[in-house]
Amino acid sequence: MDYIMLVILGCAIVTFIPRLIPALFIDKLNFSPKVEKFLNLIPYTALAALICPGVLTVDSQLWYIGLIGAVVAAGLAWKKVPLGAIVILTVVVLISVYSIVPFF
Amino acid sequence: MGIGYAAIAIKAGMTPLETISMSFLVYAGAGQIIAASMVLSGATAMAIILTNFVVNLRYFVMSTCVLNQIEDSNVGLNILAAHVTVDESFAMFSLSEDSSIWTYLGIAITAWLSWCFGAGIGVVLLDLLPVIVTNSFNISLYALFVAILTPAVKENKQIALLVLITAVLNVVLGQFLGNWSLIVATLIGAAAGMYIVDDEYLISGDA
Repeated sequence: MDYIMLVILGCAIVTFIPRLIPALFIDKLNFSPKVEKFLNLIPYTALAALICPGVLTVDSQLWYIGLIGAVVAAGLAWKKVPLGAIVILTVVVLISVYSIVPFF
Repeated sequence: MGIGYAAIAIKAGMTPLETISMSFLVYAGAGQIIAASMVLSGATAMAIILTNFVVNLRYFVMSTCVLNQIEDSNVGLNILAAHVTVDESFAMFSLSEDSSIWTYLGIAITAWLSWCFGAGIGVVLLDLLPVIVTNSFNISLYALFVAILTPAVKENKQIALLVLITAVLNVVLGQFLGNWSLIVATLIGAAAGMYIVDDEYLISGDA
């Protein structure tokens, strides 16, 4: 099978299974508080690992572009700006930064 | 959001049809971006699929919470509801008082189709927009990640410490494990969190 097709179908299956199990066995499921805590922690650790160091590769040549974006987004989130606005403002700031970077 | 994903997918050499199919079939914001980034960096299909499994394992918890809240349903509708469960639909439904399957499907299917539509828009726009703009869109997903994580970091020092440890761990492991460091750092981080983070903070359920 084609590499990309394998990736898409494989990801579709492994993503669907964890969602599907509760749909089939919702009445029988009862996990221990420890397992629940572990699963609840995963979003935090996954996000941390996703951001760092991936954010520095947003621009393959200028590592600080991603850093600026991350700092702007964190600052806006700290000030409780809504999610959608944070994303849009961060993109706008980066477009502005690019316009003053002489390499372009 | 879909635009940011489409930008990476196209850059990774995926066709427009493949890019949109993935949004329809996989439907996992972060998972798809990771998959596309890993395709871009030439990772093996097995590494990509396993990473997706780990990153999307959280949907197990969300799907369970959503289906617990729903009262009027059957297995068929539950399966559909399960596929359209993501962070956003889970959060919106958890905050509502409603327990109807139709309310949930209304919220979640709308989000699903707009995610696919966003990927379609992204595919079309990328041909028209200048490089600076598409490069700037690459930040959008990271901006969302940072925006989701920041309130928890601000509110809870233990979560902040856990985030810092995991980030450093991921950078260090990346030197040895390459693409696998994401899964390993996520799991080790969550295991460390069992000791670092108080139980009380996580019971609120907005993880």
